[in-house]
Amino acid sequence: MENFLQQTVNGLTLGSVYALLALGYSMVYGVLKFLNFAHGEVYMFGAFAGYGVLTVLGGPSALMVPVWAAVALMFVASMAVASGIGLALERFAYRPLRNASRLAPLISAIGASFFLQAAALLLFSANSRSYEAPELIPIDTAMTVGPIDVWAVRILVIVTAVVLMILLTWWVQRSRVGKAVRAVSFDSEAAAMMGIDVDRVIVVTFLIGSALAGVGGVMVGLVFGRIFHLMGFVAGLKAFTAAVVGGIGSIPGAMLGGLLIGFAEAYTTAYISSTFQNLIVFALLITFLLIRPSGFLGRPELAKV
Amino acid sequence: MLLALALVAAACGDGGGGDTTTTSADDTTTTEGETPTTAGETTTTGGEPMVCEATVGFIGPVTGPVAFIGEVQLNWFNYALDTFNAEMSYSFQSVEGDNQFDTAQSATLAQQFLDNTAMVAAVGPAGSDQVDAAGAVYEAGDPNFTFISPSSTRSGITAQYTGMFRTVPTDDDQGPTTADFLVAQGAENVFMVDDQSSYSTGLADSVEENLTAASVTVTRESVAQDVTDFSALVGTIPDDTNFVYLPWQVAANGQIFANQMAEQGKEAVIFGSDGMDSDDFTQAGSYIAAFAPDIAAIEGSQSILEGYLAEYDDTNTFGPPVYAAARVIFEAIARVCEAGEVPDRANVQAEVRNTDQADSILGSPISFTDDGDLAEGQFFIFQIQEDGSKTLVP
Repeated sequence: MENFLQQTVNGLTLGSVYALLALGYSMVYGVLKFLNFAHGEVYMFGAFAGYGVLTVLGGPSALMVPVWAAVALMFVASMAVASGIGLALERFAYRPLRNASRLAPLISAIGASFFLQAAALLLFSANSRSYEAPELIPIDTAMTVGPIDVWAVRILVIVTAVVLMILLTWWVQRSRVGKAVRAVSFDSEAAAMMGIDVDRVIVVTFLIGSALAGVGGVMVGLVFGRIFHLMGFVAGLKAFTAAVVGGIGSIPGAMLGGLLIGFAEAYTTAYISSTFQNLIVFALLITFLLIRPSGFLGRPELAKV
Repeated sequence: MLLALALVAAACGDGGGGDTTTTSADDTTTTEGETPTTAGETTTTGGEPMVCEATVGFIGPVTGPVAFIGEVQLNWFNYALDTFNAEMSYSFQSVEGDNQFDTAQSATLAQQFLDNTAMVAAVGPAGSDQVDAAGAVYEAGDPNFTFISPSSTRSGITAQYTGMFRTVPTDDDQGPTTADFLVAQGAENVFMVDDQSSYSTGLADSVEENLTAASVTVTRESVAQDVTDFSALVGTIPDDTNFVYLPWQVAANGQIFANQMAEQGKEAVIFGSDGMDSDDFTQAGSYIAAFAPDIAAIEGSQSILEGYLAEYDDTNTFGPPVYAAARVIFEAIARVCEAGEVPDRANVQAEVRNTDQADSILGSPISFTDDGDLAEGQFFIFQIQEDGSKTLVP
């Protein structure tokens, strides 16, 4: 029971990060109907932005500000940098191809992904960096949950993800811009005819999706420590898997998919073997694409006849 | 935008390349000093003075996930070159290649080195996978090209490549040494995780085989090198485990593993292979295997270390074997010149094969087996202290 609970917490932590990343994939797919494969690199830049703030503030062992303020600044900076990159991607890599065939923006996204990886290599070098979070928030700063102790950083990650997902759900359901996003996602031509500025909606979608990826980057830095210029590739693929499993285009689906992939990884490692972790995750992707391409909560595509 | 630029600058500022000047393999770097006129010259049989000239290459992971290895290796290579040139009044040249610990880069650099007709031999690459990539190119292009790896430990690899030598012992030495040590420490249950590289799986196989033969219970797991969340894996460590063996090449991952063990209250002691011998892994009480001794404790090597530290800031156990490898090549070239021959790949390789140093920076003799392995290889075990320093375990 103790092991199961521990693995559930592990899966929840990882799943929270995947969920935030998957939201970006799903939101962009919802409005533009294409996959932003550079999203993992946006997350990577978010992680480096957080590291940059930590370094500027003196590093984890010699912070010039209280820990809470440092963490808050790291999140804000990562959101700002990730949003900036997301907006640049939309403006220069995707908008010029808005009316091209569906393959063109996909190829552009893959190119943008490699471009951002190479840019990170040049800017930060290929050396990995560490947030050294245990120096920032000691490991014994923990909350007891039944028979296990949960490190405060994990709680911070899970709570932050849940709060952001609730805020996003509220924003999409209740705010004027959120409603416009849903309208464009449902039918962009009709939305435009109703006076909705589709370009603006797309920009806002990239901005919010990228900001969430930036937060995910800092979360990974805090809870797992190591960040490096290629970290976005596999994480991006897993978040894409989460989006597909949950139902691509569906915001609650992305959250659900992220958590499911997190749990799948943790339980596979715990009860099967760590060797099969990636195999199981990507087998899920193939299975859903073959059997239920709309995922758990996605809308089945309707074809005009 | 200003914020973004500031953050980029901050992120770039730490953990960068240090003050080492790395030159692309496309360029040739000549050490300071002018070409000797009388000193460094050798007289041929015809009485004509002959200047002893040669170019030696270096391939290492100067950037990348194990840059801590490559930076120090490059520094020691340059130090060996500078001191040898000064000592002998030679002007050997060097070409430096950064493979970023990548096999494809290693193969590309090897081809560049082969195409450089002035180059007679090279030091590196560091890792066994990279040696495989470069070795295949050398073997196909010119088996007379000599390359000495200062840190590749996979057993049997030297037999595959005519021109390969190494100045470190093999996993045939590391595996049994590690297993014997764990048994002597009272290991009964060992949790072992390889990182799915050939270096790691080979070493894990060797240690597992030796531990099992000693009736130690081994639980074997595997995880990819690019994974940074080990919390689920840590959760599977049985409570009665007294040692965790990590034959890994990315030491930073080892520290994450240690942190996550602490987080989940796992008290087993970590034993890391030579790939974890880095400042990125500082878990107090853990053990590390090293293929080189602490040369500060070797009387004959202290002056070399002092000279090195006067020029470079940092060193670790990956450095001295590079110095040893470079000296083997330089001395082989010098012997060729002294014999009145012009150094080329074939005669340099023949002289490297004849190497018989009674003593070296590593505190032990250097000579090679027919395959190119060290004739007398030995592994060392260190324990990490609270202050991060490492103490040699007798």
